[in-house]
Amino acid sequence: MRMIYKVSVERCIACGKCELACAFAHGSEGRPAKTRINIHRRGPELGTPIVCFQCEEAACVAVCPTEALARNPETGAIDMVRSRCISCRMCVAGCPFGNMLWDETYHCVQKCDLCGGDPRCVPFCPTGAIAWVPVEEAAIRPEPLDRETLVFEGGI
Amino acid sequence: MPTLTVNGRRVTVDSDATLLDAARAAGVEVPTLCQFDGLEPWGGCRLCVVDMSQANWDDDWFKVVTACNHPVDAGMTVVTDSERIVETRRVVLDLLLARCPDTPLIQRLALEYGIEQTSYTPNPEPDDCILCGLCTRVCDHIGVSAISSINRGWGREIAPPFNEPPPDCIGCLACAEICPTNCIPFETSNVRRKIWGREFEMLRDPKTGEAVITKEQAEHFAERSGVPLTYFETSDRSKRKVMAKTFEKLQVVK
Repeated sequence: MRMIYKVSVERCIACGKCELACAFAHGSEGRPAKTRINIHRRGPELGTPIVCFQCEEAACVAVCPTEALARNPETGAIDMVRSRCISCRMCVAGCPFGNMLWDETYHCVQKCDLCGGDPRCVPFCPTGAIAWVPVEEAAIRPEPLDRETLVFEGGI
Repeated sequence: MPTLTVNGRRVTVDSDATLLDAARAAGVEVPTLCQFDGLEPWGGCRLCVVDMSQANWDDDWFKVVTACNHPVDAGMTVVTDSERIVETRRVVLDLLLARCPDTPLIQRLALEYGIEQTSYTPNPEPDDCILCGLCTRVCDHIGVSAISSINRGWGREIAPPFNEPPPDCIGCLACAEICPTNCIPFETSNVRRKIWGREFEMLRDPKTGEAVITKEQAEHFAERSGVPLTYFETSDRSKRKVMAKTFEKLQVVK
């Protein structure tokens, strides 16, 4: 069953839990600035989580001179193979969506690898703004949401 | 899929694999200096030497080969820790330590092979460059070839043509980042980057002023891909902002 990120923009309250979970899950010393999922904050308690789309025909893969970016057949994610990356940063400039991130601390690019098929950011989202669902389910148009009645789940 | 024996362990690898891949697949560590997964193997540092015997050779007949660029064949026998292999590596490291007596990477590797002090005369002008050729090869690989090795023997070094700021360099820093001993000096900021004595202006986002690549780097890629130069200007933060705007329209709110 193919799984996919389902992002419900209207549910995001820009709490930053996904960013923090990501930073911890990837050993970036828990610094939210080093996250691979980014919330674009567009107002108080209003955000849009932006995460790598794992494009079918990805620009980052096309520009990489050493084939350091390759599709992982198991997870469907485009993985960055650290041992092949020459840190030329072309993928950062090439990604049309701003999801290739330059990590100054480790001198390499960072990108979402779907945590090996179980994204760690998802269970931490208290409002269900990001969900990890089968492709068929993601295509269903959701019921309109009243933000005032939004229920906070505890998260983990 | 050929099957071979590495240090007595049987391992099956792809037919286009090298002996180094086979050793790694068998969980055997082979030291390397000039090898990098993303680049063609070179066989320059001679540290990855192993004993190899083909299937149809006499049982006690082994040949010393570099593991990084030797193709695998079915029925091969590979020994990575025989006496003469360890001795060969020791000589290589002894010589490297004579050239680079102050380089931590070489000191550590030499110590692993029991060398604390080089038996040769140490280089009176200690250098960190081990001439592994990674910088020039990575530069060739991305299609720039701004630097290369010059002179021969003792005087061999890595330099741009005529030791002048290289006109072909695009300032991507790949050479400095790949250098195993970090001996290529560079400076970089949001505005300017300096490497090999040449200054580069960064391609900055018109809105946020952030920059990740140089103008020359963008030009190099724009020329190859046919994408307009301005495409590379936008910083990842600005791109995400545009994406967020697009998503905002998709909201389903009462």
